[in-house]
Amino acid sequence: MHQLEAMRMPSASLKTFNLGDVRWDWLALWVATAFIFAFLVIPTLIVVPMALTPKNILEFPPSGFSLHSFADFFASDEWMSSLLISVEVAVIAVAVATVVGALAAIALHGAKFRGCGLVVGLILLPIATPLIVLAIGFFGFFARLHLVATPLGIGLAHSLLAMPYVYLCVSASLSGLDLQLVRAVQSMGGGVLAVFRFAYLPVILPGLVGGMVFAFAVSFDEVVIAYFLQGPDATTLPVRIFLNLQYNLTPVVAAVSTLLLLVTVLLLGMQMVFLKRRSRMSFLPGSFSMDKEG
Amino acid sequence: MVDRSFGWVARLACTVRAVVLWRALLLLPVFLFLAALLLWPYIEIISGTVAGWSASLKVLSSSALLWRNIVNTVLISLAAMLVTTVLAYVLAFMAWMTGPRARLMVFAFVLLPFWTDVLVKNFAWIELLRDNGIINDFLMWAGVIHEPLHLLHTRFAVIVGMVHYCLPYAFFPIFAVLLPIDKRLDRAAVSLGAGRWSRARLVLLPLSLSGILASSLLTFIISVGFFITPVLLGGPGDQMISNAIDYYQSKLVDFHAASFLALGVSLVVTVLVFVYQRIPAEGQHASA
Repeated sequence: MHQLEAMRMPSASLKTFNLGDVRWDWLALWVATAFIFAFLVIPTLIVVPMALTPKNILEFPPSGFSLHSFADFFASDEWMSSLLISVEVAVIAVAVATVVGALAAIALHGAKFRGCGLVVGLILLPIATPLIVLAIGFFGFFARLHLVATPLGIGLAHSLLAMPYVYLCVSASLSGLDLQLVRAVQSMGGGVLAVFRFAYLPVILPGLVGGMVFAFAVSFDEVVIAYFLQGPDATTLPVRIFLNLQYNLTPVVAAVSTLLLLVTVLLLGMQMVFLKRRSRMSFLPGSFSMDKEG
Repeated sequence: MVDRSFGWVARLACTVRAVVLWRALLLLPVFLFLAALLLWPYIEIISGTVAGWSASLKVLSSSALLWRNIVNTVLISLAAMLVTTVLAYVLAFMAWMTGPRARLMVFAFVLLPFWTDVLVKNFAWIELLRDNGIINDFLMWAGVIHEPLHLLHTRFAVIVGMVHYCLPYAFFPIFAVLLPIDKRLDRAAVSLGAGRWSRARLVLLPLSLSGILASSLLTFIISVGFFITPVLLGGPGDQMISNAIDYYQSKLVDFHAASFLALGVSLVVTVLVFVYQRIPAEGQHASA
């Protein structure tokens, strides 16, 4: 009910604007906002109680309290293998994306050469490309390399999606780099590795970790490319959920969804801790829309 | 010999020109990476399109299903864009008008669905909207209706799911435009005798127009690529262009036709992203 109402309320609030009555339009706006809040949050919150049902069918509100759907999840070979594959894919994606993205961010730090904006645009391009387009392209490409239906293939594809986020996080943290520090390390006879270890690494570490968390989340949640590249030994957790949502709705899906929510909250918490010294805004989607402009 | 060459490198590293060299060296991985994982897939799509050009054109032009999916994509994306932008404007306006504490609350409410997995959100909507789902159960319990409304597997469900997904993306461009607006402008308008409606129309709307444009375009760009939501929440008649691509790729195993469509989608999205980049980001101090 809330969801339906929320979609109609704003037009109602605009109408009351005409009345010129101070109390009425503010009240309408607040009511509209409350409905939008409900619309935003309720879908996320109903998942948890649904996972706690003692029955074998989905019900709301739950008729009792039980953790058996979680037990079913952990006892299922299918689900467990998907979980492992998802982790494997995410590890590959994070490893590749972190190295490439961080090096690019260091390379472009303070750069003002011609075509610099173009290079940044190229680096951020994967974010603005529709997943379905990449999925078809990767399928054709990986079919040649026999990488379709392998975790390595999906991991490499995900690294493309994750790399821009690592780049953004690391370049944001590089704004705190003091170039005097680089010269100081060099003057003491430090080589390239020493400059990286003592000047760059301490500064970029929060951005690096933040970017890795981002990259992990991007890979762990991605379903479209993983769906097109799936195979018997390469069905990631999101693809398994997608297939179950279509053909096999059970409380196990609610349990997995609850676990994913928990992972999300944990990753967000980690982000907050590591980005505490920097602006708290950097994990907001504002940075998302900015990359689309970049 | 080894020593000498190493000394040469070290000396080079100290000169200004070396910065250029280092930059090129550090950029090399990302260029190789993009060439392998972005350019090559695109080359596959282009060559797939070119290889089956005439056959795909014949297959696709005679497909009523494809035409319906394209019309669906435009209509559903437009509907999602309109609803999302209006809701995002209300939220952004509230976040802008209220104090920092209420603002944080708005942020939290916007960010929770943003960070929730798209499949979890779709699962929740299935459970809310299906015939014996939570909304129908509640309405029947309350006595509002006597038999369940058919909500799931409809266009309405697809649009609800898309609005829910896009709202956080649409919120921040509008908020970013509202934030720098000088609230004294509003007071100036009051002192000049403007009513509430004319202030909203003559002061707030022009100053936040670029944010509205950015939000709606961003929502539209995201909506065009939707694949999961139409499958899970829509009926057979509500499938979109991505689902058509999936149909040609997975069901008909026609890689050429799928590439043809994928290339088309990426061209349209590229044009839209290009336009999006040209929308000024700031509100009050933008040239527009």
